Amino acid sequence: VENVRLFQELEARTRELAHSVEELQALSEVGRAVSSTVDLQTVLATIVARAVQLSGTSGGVVYEYDEATQEFQLRASHRIEQELVEVLQARPVRLGEGATGLAGLRRVPVEVPDTREDREFQITQLARTTLNQLGYRSILGIPLLLEQRIMGALTVFRRETGSFPSEIVNLLQTFATQSTIAIHNARLFREIEAKGRELEVASRHKSQFLANMSHELRTPLNAILGYTELLNDGIYGDLPQKAGDVMTRIDRSGKHLLGLINDVLDLSKIEAGQLELTLADYSLQEIVHAVLTQVEALASEKGLTLHVNVAPSLPPGRGDERRLAQVLLNLVGNAIKFTDVGSVRIAAYRDGDAFVVSVTDTGPGITEADRQRIFEEFQQADSSSTRKKGGTGLGLSIAKRIVELHGGRIWVESTFGRGSTFSFQVPVRVERQAARG
Amino acid sequence: LIEPGADVEEPDVAKRILVIEDHEENRRIMRDLLTHAGYEMLEAVTGEDGIVAAGLERPDLILMDIQLPGLDGYDTTRRIKADPALRPIPIIAVTSYALSGDDQKALAAGCDAYVTKPFSPRALLGKIREFLG
Repeated sequence: VENVRLFQELEARTRELAHSVEELQALSEVGRAVSSTVDLQTVLATIVARAVQLSGTSGGVVYEYDEATQEFQLRASHRIEQELVEVLQARPVRLGEGATGLAGLRRVPVEVPDTREDREFQITQLARTTLNQLGYRSILGIPLLLEQRIMGALTVFRRETGSFPSEIVNLLQTFATQSTIAIHNARLFREIEAKGRELEVASRHKSQFLANMSHELRTPLNAILGYTELLNDGIYGDLPQKAGDVMTRIDRSGKHLLGLINDVLDLSKIEAGQLELTLADYSLQEIVHAVLTQVEALASEKGLTLHVNVAPSLPPGRGDERRLAQVLLNLVGNAIKFTDVGSVRIAAYRDGDAFVVSVTDTGPGITEADRQRIFEEFQQADSSSTRKKGGTGLGLSIAKRIVELHGGRIWVESTFGRGSTFSFQVPVRVERQAARG
Repeated sequence: LIEPGADVEEPDVAKRILVIEDHEENRRIMRDLLTHAGYEMLEAVTGEDGIVAAGLERPDLILMDIQLPGLDGYDTTRRIKADPALRPIPIIAVTSYALSGDDQKALAAGCDAYVTKPFSPRALLGKIREFLG
């Protein structure tokens, strides 16, 4: 007799364990779905399916609660007839209505042991008729709560009458918790998406504002630079030597200001997606030589040697010649600006389907940390040098965008204290402007 | 003998340049520059007035600002160039920033040359002399 009792106990324990293992497996599956799937519908469908299977009920549904309308909207169902799904979809459950609405209102599980007897069980006539026709007799509603906030409900149906055992209520509460997390995640995700869109719009407005502003700033500057030149050229009469020197200073500062405004305008146009490349055939050799002509004086003023090495017989390229020249001019200009002793070397060659142009200097070099951010707006390697060396810190980010619009890339190699090499690579033939980088 | 009003070039008479520009300061800079260089300057503030002035005055050259209120510099140029009697008059466009692409649009509209704003009066004069000698 003792053996029989032990054997039965063992059997019961084994069944319990098997059931526990099954529960754990289901929960881990649900957990994976919650953390890996962004699609709320899919996650909730997985949850309600496992909840119904493990609780041995006939079918179940998950609702999401809408605080604005105080209604529960059907989001997923398992083993529920299409008829009933349609009824529940057409007319959302109101707060306080039926097992679901009461569970939400009271923030505790609410069961209806017999739908035909329970006086508290108030639902629409259509829902009642449909439930009766399909033979559902008992219902359990579990609220989905985040703190005390209603997020939705998990509701299961049975064809037999009677109370729901506490293990089932507990089990379903675990699934309810998972559903709450899924709904909460989905809402956060939607919120972030909306915020992202708002930010994008705000950023476009900012770029448009900058573009307009820099245009407006240039108009009076035109007058300042124009009159300065007329004064310098003596069309208002000869200037005393001292005044002439001052006019030259005004001219230099005015042109510096103009350079800054142009950089801001350039960048804001690129940011606003308004920069269109003018694609045409060009000669890389000519670009290099045009840039060289512009910087030769600057280099010799500082006593720097310029070396140029353009590979022979390069094929004609296709791209925006002026913009590519602007990129190279920026790189060479920087190299000269930041190098006090030594040389600046320009190399241009073809590597497969791409042109590679690099500018090597014997300047101070750039630390690893600075190499990361040097292509970002308003960043220079050493912010204290901004004042010493001038410039907006926009040149490299403009260069980067121009190269990217050509479908290419720009990078820097440097050993701190031993100079830097800035290089960019663009396809030889660019037939179409790349999407914004 | 030359009849008064006959359509004949007189070497001693100053060449006449029509400036179509809405900004007062820019017109004044051009006036100081062109007058000093020995040209006669005619002025129009809008594209519409510029077209009328071009037809009445038959200037030797037109300086066309691109960003004009109402009819812009492109359309004004197109209308002037559409008139066979005015077509030979060279038009130099004064475009905004060089990299804006305005210069290509100006040439496409029929302008004969362009300078970019902020223009250097010296460079502008050089460009005018290419056409008027």
